[in-house]
Amino acid sequence: MAMPPQDPRAEHALLARMKRGDEEAFLALYRRHKDAVYRFALLYSGSAAVAADVTQDTFVHLITQPGQFDPTRGSVGAWLCGVARNLARKHFAGREDATDPALLADDGHAHQAHVDPETPLDRVLRSESAEQVRRAIAAIAPHYRDVLVLCEISGMSYAEAAQTCGIDIGTVRSRLSRARAQLAQRLADYASPAHGAAKEAV
Amino acid sequence: MNTETPNDPAREAFVDARLADLRRESALLAPPAALEGALLAKFRREQRPARRPLLWWMPPLALAATIALVSWMIRGPLPPMKTQVQAAQSIPASATPSDDAPFLALRPLERIALEPGTTVVATEFPRALLADWGLPVSPDRAGEPVRAEMLYSADGEALAVRLIN
Repeated sequence: MAMPPQDPRAEHALLARMKRGDEEAFLALYRRHKDAVYRFALLYSGSAAVAADVTQDTFVHLITQPGQFDPTRGSVGAWLCGVARNLARKHFAGREDATDPALLADDGHAHQAHVDPETPLDRVLRSESAEQVRRAIAAIAPHYRDVLVLCEISGMSYAEAAQTCGIDIGTVRSRLSRARAQLAQRLADYASPAHGAAKEAV
Repeated sequence: MNTETPNDPAREAFVDARLADLRRESALLAPPAALEGALLAKFRREQRPARRPLLWWMPPLALAATIALVSWMIRGPLPPMKTQVQAAQSIPASATPSDDAPFLALRPLERIALEPGTTVVATEFPRALLADWGLPVSPDRAGEPVRAEMLYSADGEALAVRLIN
């Protein structure tokens, strides 16, 4: 599911019209980006309620601070996802541990200290298989999680993900590689008989 | 897919397949429909021009009054006498007195210029008195009163006169 290709000139024209108070331009921008922002927030936070709040706050930011968008640094979509990411991180600021890359283990497994143990895990998907992947993503370290969601689910390019997260493309590549390794490990853990027995015991 | 170094092709294929499941399912997700209306209302509120306060005219009025007061205080209530007295020297004696006529010096200009405190007093006197100051007076109107402003020194000496009519 790649992000639909957007003509940057059309986006910038919409943004300029929106700044002049054009309601239709704002609605067009909202309808273009609402799903991507909401999905990112949902997969990042694991909570539909938090995702709705983050989506609302992201577009309120667009309404009140449109001048913060810098067209030389990327697309409107990537900027909005970056705003959503910051808002979601702020939401969990009191619950997530530090994600300084210097502190990360290099073996592809998140150290327990970097896993958010309180990420809400309400069921949001009908498919059991997809729901299991979503839970596995919610359990990996936040700085790996956002790159994974942006590149693999939202379909962003490495450059767009780098803009969204405020990191360079090389870091996006390495984090994505480690995120996939962590995801594979967690999915394997879920599939193991021991995990099923432990779940039944609970 | 997006991996940097796919070490284990089987593991990568497994992850890709599971992520594809999630992509398919999450494509059905959308934010609550009510959000659009709420954001549109917010957008309209933001675009509405700020309402003019009820007493919006008070600050500019106060500013104008302050400027007028300060201007009056700096310039002073009295006209600059020296300039007017000097101007009076150039007026011929036969000039017709009027409301905007300059003061006519009755004492040397140097003395008037050095006078520390002067007062202007509106007064009325017989027209015949004008002849004493060298001004032409018609004999048949000599008995009529004439209105004038007198410039007095601090000790009451008449320094200059200005005819009003």
